[in-house]
Amino acid sequence: MKLLLANTWLPTSAELHLFSPELVLTGTIVAVLLVALVAGRRPQLSAMIALLGALLGVLATAHVARVVGDGGLGGLAPPGEPPMLIADRFSVFFKLFLFVLLAAIIWLWLTGTIERRMRATSRPVGDVGGPEFFVLLLTSALGMMLMVGSLNLLVIIIAMETASLPSYAIVAADRRSRLGAEAALKYVLFGAASAAIMVYGVSLLYGRFGTLDLGAVAQASSLWSHQQDAGATGTDWLFCLGLAALGVGVVFKIAAVPMHYWCPDVFEGAPIEITTWLSIASKAAGLGLLLRIVTTLGGAAAGGTHHTELLAWAIGILAAVTCTVGNLAALRQESVKRILAYSSIAHAGYMMMAAAILVAPAGTAANVGISAVVAYLLVYLLMNVGAFGAAALVTWHAGTDHLSAFTGLGRRAPWIAVPLAVCLFSLVGLPPLGGFAAKWFLLVALGTSAAAQPWLWGLVVIAVVNTAISLYYYVRIIRQMFLTDDATLPRLQVPFGGLALVNVCAVVILLIGTLWFSPLGERAGRLASNLYVQPTPPALTLQP
Amino acid sequence: MEGNLLNWIIFLPTIAAVLCLIVPSNRAVKVIAILASGVTLALSLGLFPHFAWWGQDAAGIFGGAYGQKLYEVTKFTWITLGEGDNATPIQYYVGVDGLSFPLVILTTVISFLAALASWNIEHWKVNHGVRGYFCLFLLLETGMLGVFCALDFFLFYIFWEVMLLPMYFLIGVWGGPRKEYAAIKFFIYTLVGSVLMLVALLAFYFYAPVGHRTFDLLKMATDPEIQQAFGSATFLGWRFAPFMFILLYVGFAIKIPVFPFHTWLPDAHVEAPTPISMILAGVLLKMGAYGLLRISYPVLPMVGPEAAWPLAVLGLINIIYGALCAMAQTDFKRLVAYSSISHMGYVLLGIAIMTPAGLQGAMFQVIAHGISSPMCFFLVGVIYDRAHHRDINRFGGLWLTMPVYGSLATVGFFASLGLPGLCGFIGEFWVLIATFSANFAWAKPAAVLAATGVILTAGYILWMIQRVYLGKQREEYKGFPEVSFREVAILVPLAVLALVLGILPEQSLFRFMNGTLNQITDLCARHGDMLTAAVGTFARP
Repeated sequence: MKLLLANTWLPTSAELHLFSPELVLTGTIVAVLLVALVAGRRPQLSAMIALLGALLGVLATAHVARVVGDGGLGGLAPPGEPPMLIADRFSVFFKLFLFVLLAAIIWLWLTGTIERRMRATSRPVGDVGGPEFFVLLLTSALGMMLMVGSLNLLVIIIAMETASLPSYAIVAADRRSRLGAEAALKYVLFGAASAAIMVYGVSLLYGRFGTLDLGAVAQASSLWSHQQDAGATGTDWLFCLGLAALGVGVVFKIAAVPMHYWCPDVFEGAPIEITTWLSIASKAAGLGLLLRIVTTLGGAAAGGTHHTELLAWAIGILAAVTCTVGNLAALRQESVKRILAYSSIAHAGYMMMAAAILVAPAGTAANVGISAVVAYLLVYLLMNVGAFGAAALVTWHAGTDHLSAFTGLGRRAPWIAVPLAVCLFSLVGLPPLGGFAAKWFLLVALGTSAAAQPWLWGLVVIAVVNTAISLYYYVRIIRQMFLTDDATLPRLQVPFGGLALVNVCAVVILLIGTLWFSPLGERAGRLASNLYVQPTPPALTLQP
Repeated sequence: MEGNLLNWIIFLPTIAAVLCLIVPSNRAVKVIAILASGVTLALSLGLFPHFAWWGQDAAGIFGGAYGQKLYEVTKFTWITLGEGDNATPIQYYVGVDGLSFPLVILTTVISFLAALASWNIEHWKVNHGVRGYFCLFLLLETGMLGVFCALDFFLFYIFWEVMLLPMYFLIGVWGGPRKEYAAIKFFIYTLVGSVLMLVALLAFYFYAPVGHRTFDLLKMATDPEIQQAFGSATFLGWRFAPFMFILLYVGFAIKIPVFPFHTWLPDAHVEAPTPISMILAGVLLKMGAYGLLRISYPVLPMVGPEAAWPLAVLGLINIIYGALCAMAQTDFKRLVAYSSISHMGYVLLGIAIMTPAGLQGAMFQVIAHGISSPMCFFLVGVIYDRAHHRDINRFGGLWLTMPVYGSLATVGFFASLGLPGLCGFIGEFWVLIATFSANFAWAKPAAVLAATGVILTAGYILWMIQRVYLGKQREEYKGFPEVSFREVAILVPLAVLALVLGILPEQSLFRFMNGTLNQITDLCARHGDMLTAAVGTFARP
């Protein structure tokens, strides 16, 4: 026993400090559960605790951000071993992102309960709550945070499942909703299948390289590629297959083509707070993971290899197809939730384009792809919280999210209609709104990298053409709000909390598009610099 | 930095738009809007001293070469792109030269008159949301002025897009029966054009050699290294310069609008309320031509000779097809809309041949049409306010009922027709002689064909005047009140401008802009020569 303890490695307190956001989140989960034991089932209390936890998490993340400072740090591994978890600016950004989103979602939920109480007679839409709801929400957030903060394939799988399993359940949080149950079932089936494929891919990678550390895998594969390049260019099919299978899981999280089928149904069936959560957080985490994988593989293969080129093409094509499919499918939807679901698929496509930048062009300090995605995600958070928040306010009131519920909103509730219009135009990417700034940085990143990969210009063209296509369905909502009216419809009474949320989003979007355009780019560039990389390449022998 | 005159001109309408949201009554909103556009007009007149041609020679006003002499320049870094040594500023860079100056004046004049024309908004069919209307109207004015003043491509793009949203709502909310269709059609057409421009914007930046990268439109046009790079690069397998030219061209052609991208225009014009039609025809269409002259030709002069005959052909199609369509219309407003298409064909033709006279004629036509077509649209609006229909065949003898209106209408429509002595004549005539004397094999037949457009124009306008204003007085129109003081106040300035431009073209317009236009021609000619030397050309020696 004594021997065992001596050999057991324990993380130091400095290392644990790095992961205080996760610890805070775990603490909050426990607190929500325990308080419910003592105080009984009081959803609002649980919500308050969760909100408090999210805000504490922001503080903890700010603390970590100071510690991380300039360089990426690894942690939770015995000395000399590749770390299980890493803390660098990129993962800190994601933690902050998720905490802020979490706070916004809980705020939206609180607004919703007020709204529901206001009209207690009508059948409440999306009646969800209780401690279990918040425990599930917080747990999926924990999983997503871990997803972006690791290079270990095993940790990635565990994180992904931690993120997914609670999500399946909260989609059906409204127990009386048949649509919700159907959505949850679809989600769980798709999720289980893709998780299985992903685990299979990881097992292939492990079999091929004998390590679970992605950094080591990347170095080994690029080593192999360079050996091959000396002679003939060969393709390491086992590596490719493993990577592709791993990608299935990631693509499922992002809801990109071809793993996007679950997205509209689940978004439609889930309570709107959860739709907002999934549309932003799940995609963000998936993208973060994708970028992490891609930069690790691309970074190891200095100057690019046959494999990284293949990977870049694959991601580029997937991205192009994803945003085109998302936009085309959205054109004929009648449900606003579905429109926004397809829109989120399209936006995932735009962001994935940045992941196709595998070879960092010479003379750029920051990783341009990551910085573009960081900027995009920041704006995307605001746009979607604003759009879904406004849609939620209308949906709670009308009892449906059909387009017709938005008729004459410009007159009936200008303080919802105008911010919603701002968010929607921003989603199109029209200046002078934040959405344009986001798209601009994305296109600039593609253009910068086109020096090394000229075909990225093709993605630029596809992205802008898609912008024009997407205009149509966003404008359908705006048309319904401002261009049509029905004088019999009364004015809308909406809770102040909801109004505050959507209007703040709209104002910040407007500011980002004008005065904060430059700061957005600079901040994103800083967040994307100094990613964690393996300090010393471990010597690896290739298995034949 | 030479003071903030231009910034005030651009952003005063925005400030007023915000004010419109705050003030209590609808009447106050209207007063603010008209005051703001009036003050903007007054401020823009303050640009005149810079271009005062009396007592100065052209070189003194316009500088020696393109981009050398600008007025009321404001330039500061807005966004920094890249980092370290590679950092490139995206600038807030505005200024006026001979190309933009007349258009700025045109914009402020037309905006002011359109604001006046909006005074009776309470009597429109859709008469709610006065506040919103004027707020959007003023934002639109900022967008338009910004486009004409921006000298940074990025800034140009932003203003270009900023214009879209107000226009969509102005047509979509306050428009006629098919307003939703017209508004979305306008929106999508223009957005398609502008996203293609966005590709060009990015490509211009990234294809310039490192260290020379810029968004400054003047620097792009004059930096030899950038020009060299643009001339030799390839883009996705195609030659860079023609590809970019096409991308930009589509964006601008949609705005002009050139066949086959013209179909949004009749819909938008017909459905838009009268003041918005005035702005659409008077200013928005001009942006396409301005874009060609400010961006396409100066930055990509090497494409000019190759693009000459396709653009000329398209211009001819516009002239003749537009005129024939106009002839077939029974809706008064549609007729004027198609006549715009026809008139803008001369602009494209004049630009395509790239001679000094061609550009001068094209720009003159731009301004002339910017005066005559808002006038025509307002004339149609006046009659629509009274009759509540626009069917040409149901009118007749209006001159007898409303003599003042009839006389002013004749001036407006004759200006549009191109009667000598009125503004429409000079532009068309300049373009025709320039085309006839151009150095292309196809130039003379093209000029002859374009001249037939003049006959067709005369045909449909005279026929329309006959059906609407002449003939026997009809019973149902007898009680129509004569034009009000407000309506006269809108029509008379336009009529006076049409006359002055027609009689004193040199003093009233050519001298204010020819300097810059000739510099652009020089710029293109220099590159044309280089191209001739390199690969041969369509141009005949």
